[in-house]
Amino acid sequence: MHLDPFALHRPTSVDETVRLAGSLAGRFDYLAGGTDLLPNYKMHLNLRPNLIALEDVGELRGHGAGRFGAMERLAELDDDPAIRAEYPVLADAVGEVATPLVRASGTVGGNLLVETRCFFFNQSYFWRESLGFCLKADGDRCHVVPQKEKCYATFSGDLAPALMALDAEVEVAGPAGRSRRPLEALYDAAGDGIRRVHLAPGELLVAVHVPAASRGLHGRYKKLRVRPSYDFPELGVAVAGRWDGDRVASLRLAVGGVEPHPRRFDALTEPLVGSALSDDRLRALADEVMRQLRPVHNTFLLPDYRKRMIGVYVRRAVDEARRGSAS
Amino acid sequence: MSEAGLLRMRLNGHPVVAPCEPARILLDLLRDDLHLTGTKRGCDLGTCGCCTVLVDGRPTLSCLTLARLADGHDVTTIEGISPPQGLSPVQRAFVESGATQCGFCTPGFIVTATALLRDHPHPSRAEIERAIAGNLCRCTGYTKIVEAIATAAKDGA
Ligand SMILES: Cc1cc2nc3c(=O)[nH]c(=O)nc-3n(C[C@H](O)[C@H](O)[C@H](O)COP(=O)(O)OP(=O)(O)OC[C@H]3O[C@@H](n4cnc5c(N)ncnc54)[C@H](O)[C@@H]3O)c2cc1C
Ligand code: SF4
Ligand code: FES
Ligand code: FES
Repeated sequence: MHLDPFALHRPTSVDETVRLAGSLAGRFDYLAGGTDLLPNYKMHLNLRPNLIALEDVGELRGHGAGRFGAMERLAELDDDPAIRAEYPVLADAVGEVATPLVRASGTVGGNLLVETRCFFFNQSYFWRESLGFCLKADGDRCHVVPQKEKCYATFSGDLAPALMALDAEVEVAGPAGRSRRPLEALYDAAGDGIRRVHLAPGELLVAVHVPAASRGLHGRYKKLRVRPSYDFPELGVAVAGRWDGDRVASLRLAVGGVEPHPRRFDALTEPLVGSALSDDRLRALADEVMRQLRPVHNTFLLPDYRKRMIGVYVRRAVDEARRGSAS
Repeated sequence: MSEAGLLRMRLNGHPVVAPCEPARILLDLLRDDLHLTGTKRGCDLGTCGCCTVLVDGRPTLSCLTLARLADGHDVTTIEGISPPQGLSPVQRAFVESGATQCGFCTPGFIVTATALLRDHPHPSRAEIERAIAGNLCRCTGYTKIVEAIATAAKDGA
């Protein structure tokens, strides 16, 4: 499969990247590891005439002391035993992204901004043309929820829920300078599978920061997928917390792989802090998360099954995190 | 490098200069322009691992890599893993263990396994299985492939 022609830009600093992005506004894509973008380009999905490769922007690399550069390759995290020791929920999630070969090129930033997925979108041009295309690329209707307004493509990145459970922030550079915001605010909860992130034109993800208070939290990421060797999540549940004997000292939960954006469930987990988490309360938490999330029929597994598995995976993730804390 | 410029890299130890458009994929450059057809095109989408090469020693899916990003780097394909005469220890172990049937996936497995044994000379069976999780084989059922890599490790590949 050949790519259509584009101009390739290779800035070497964050400032140069932001300036370039400003001058190409709306006519470019950033290229990180390319493991998401290039398959989509090969399928002629939303091509742009310019690619800004982030490869040479040194500031975006590296990880340590709670900072994860946007261009840090997932394999670097996978190979680092300190991640497993300090952020077990993140280590789980990294190890479950795609395959080791994809992780050798795929990056942290690319993972957080991975394109939303749908059975009717991730197809060849020929396949999509035969159905008359869809809202997300080249068309004007949705085949999943038949209407012409909203896209239900699924957020399918594994790192976002894990980093949300660790209360991470993202550092963004743009024409107005640098800013930080909570990771969940990167995603547009009021948007859809197309308008999915809050990044102004030309803004660049620089790094993810995990607060010191999240170091050492016990955690678990549980991922539902068809083939464990490489499939995208059909559901991803991340839990991080601290236990003081039986008592919950802190607990955060986030879920991806279901809706167009990952979601954090602080309103459900905060009331649990301070007392013991009985089986009944855990079941009630799992049921409520399940009730609030609405999978649609746009991935391999049926939405009914995915929905029921939300409850099961929440219970398992919390239970395993808690048992990890006891050992 | 200019827009329609020349790409310069070290390929299997030798300097190479080749014309290369920005949209050229490394796999296509290797196979179609440089005629190094040992690297295979399977899925062309990052799923099968047949196209694996080493870029500065790092296993890389050449089907998902812009050739231009290899400019100035060191690229090793399956042709560069074979010594001038005979076979590399991993290749020999694949032959002797019967780890190849149709052979289409074999270059990718050998490149991946070579990098694994360089970094982890004594991998456990689980580590071998994990390392090759991104290489698909439709013929062998993997058992012989895992055995071949374990044998190569034992022989000090
Ligand atoms: C076979 C296969 C299986 C996969 N399975 C999984 C899986 O199980 N789980 C999963 O999460 N992913 C999976 N992926 C998707 C992808 O490989 C990963 O999400 C990877 O981490 C993406 O990173 P990248 O650097 O390659 O992103 P790219 O493809 O380079 O970029 C992805 C998107 O992010 C944008 N972007 C990248 N960096 C920045 C930045 N710094 N600032 C602003 N925008 C940016 C790009 O413009 C692009 O839109 C899979 C891919 C393949 C090919
Ligand atoms: S959810 Fe609808 S609009 Fe969105 S990608 Fe799928 S078919 Fe297209
Ligand atoms: S051809 Fe590159 S992974 Fe299949
Ligand atoms: S030997 Fe035929 S695909 Fe592996």
